[in-house]
Amino acid sequence: MRNAFRLLAIFYKNTLISELEYRLNFWSNLGLSLFWLVWAALSVRVYFFQTEEVAGWKYPELLVVMGLFFALNGFRQLILTPNLSRISEYVRMGTLDYVLTKPVNSQFLVSLRNIGVYNWGDPLLGLGLAAYGLWQLKYVPSLGQIALFGVLIAAAMVLLYSISLILQTLTFWLVNVERVDALVMGVLETGRFPVSFYRGWIRAVLTAVIPVAFMTTFPAEALLGRLDWRLAAAGIGLAVILFVLSSAFWRFALRYYTGASS
Amino acid sequence: MRDLIRVYRALLRVGWELMLEYRAQALLWILSFVFPLVMMNVWLAVVDEAGPLAGWGRSDFIAYYVAAALFNYLTAAWVLWDWDEDIRTGSLSVKLLKPIDPFHYLLTNELGWKVFILVVMGPLVALAAWLSPEIDYPLTAESLLAVAASAVTGFALNLMMSTSFAMMSFWSTQTKNFYQLVFGLGQFLSGWIAPLALFPDTIRHVATLTPFRYTLSFPLEILMGRLSGSEIALGFAVTAIWLISFTIVYRVFWRLGVKRYEAVGA
Repeated sequence: MRNAFRLLAIFYKNTLISELEYRLNFWSNLGLSLFWLVWAALSVRVYFFQTEEVAGWKYPELLVVMGLFFALNGFRQLILTPNLSRISEYVRMGTLDYVLTKPVNSQFLVSLRNIGVYNWGDPLLGLGLAAYGLWQLKYVPSLGQIALFGVLIAAAMVLLYSISLILQTLTFWLVNVERVDALVMGVLETGRFPVSFYRGWIRAVLTAVIPVAFMTTFPAEALLGRLDWRLAAAGIGLAVILFVLSSAFWRFALRYYTGASS
Repeated sequence: MRDLIRVYRALLRVGWELMLEYRAQALLWILSFVFPLVMMNVWLAVVDEAGPLAGWGRSDFIAYYVAAALFNYLTAAWVLWDWDEDIRTGSLSVKLLKPIDPFHYLLTNELGWKVFILVVMGPLVALAAWLSPEIDYPLTAESLLAVAASAVTGFALNLMMSTSFAMMSFWSTQTKNFYQLVFGLGQFLSGWIAPLALFPDTIRHVATLTPFRYTLSFPLEILMGRLSGSEIALGFAVTAIWLISFTIVYRVFWRLGVKRYEAVGA
């Protein structure tokens, strides 16, 4: 395992070095990330021209959710898209052979080999916006709340990863799953807002079927100190279960892979 | 003129086929479909709590966003990305050799998309409007004509605006990032984020002078019967001024740019 992480460090360093050669691009991309963050924060300001609270959320509280959405979407662009979207190419071209013959766990390599530096600032900026929301509320979370938040945001990343991996792994049977990443993005987009903004069956779906609520709303509520501990436990449990499932599904799918030469 | 029509027919077919082939835009597609529906959902939550806002009730928001999803596709123009690619990588050279202006390739490419969208989404929206008791567009023959005309001018405006900004690529590598800023600001002023009626007065007044409003909220408000005859006429006048300005900017900088481009290539 230590070896595997040393490998990653080398991979990422190389990507970063080649990206830094285009210095203007590097800073321009960061500036753009910042712009879209401010854009997101201002775009929801419109609701509060008309009312103090929407579905029990004040503007700064909503900013916490929005910041977490931004951070998680950044994580998707940083790790999930550059890696998992290539699985379909690996299978089609037969280059999965190279992955399988390396002395490192194949799921590990397929999931983390690449890094998309283009939006590298998003996760940090998103967390920054969440912190700004808290500051506007003059609210300081306790250490326990921050710890729970840390665990839940890690669970959110695992959830998003596992769902993406399961969907992308379908490529072993259906060659054309190029739009999976767009689909994941479309679903995650609903996490811009707290789940209580949605009504009826949509809310039920976003909580129980596609667990977007566990990705942004519940971690934000943990930070604000108003999350039911049972929901926190459910989120952690769900992340563990889905991770085990996706990993099992990956190994199962590999059995159907025949390679480039056979 | 007959020649140009023949060329256009061929190019349109190519544009249509390219569209069916090119899937990278799926991302954009899904996003621009989900976003208005999410926004609609939130407004419905607000209205449930606070009652109608500035004369906008439940059914108004539903009617607005369903139409916004369609009109956003109809008036969008993504040619800046193609221009930028062509100019930066040098593939513009090939197009310069051909007897028709590169502009026509990009335009027909876009039109291929528009036909596809009209065929796929048009009936869907019409069906939704017909089935849903919440959606009721008070259309007359004249207003339908005005809606169609404003959709066309809205697209033309996006096309010329994006083409004008694309000319920056002759001088800079940051055109796409810069245009994203313009585009992002535009989404506030175009009515994409929220109907303009819900913004404070100052923003609303500024919006009526900018080109962005005429790419989305203008056709939508005509469709919903919220604009008077004189407001519609004024809207078309402002659109025309912007269209002419962008066309001039594009042609002037195109001439300067191509001169410079050849100087670099030779």
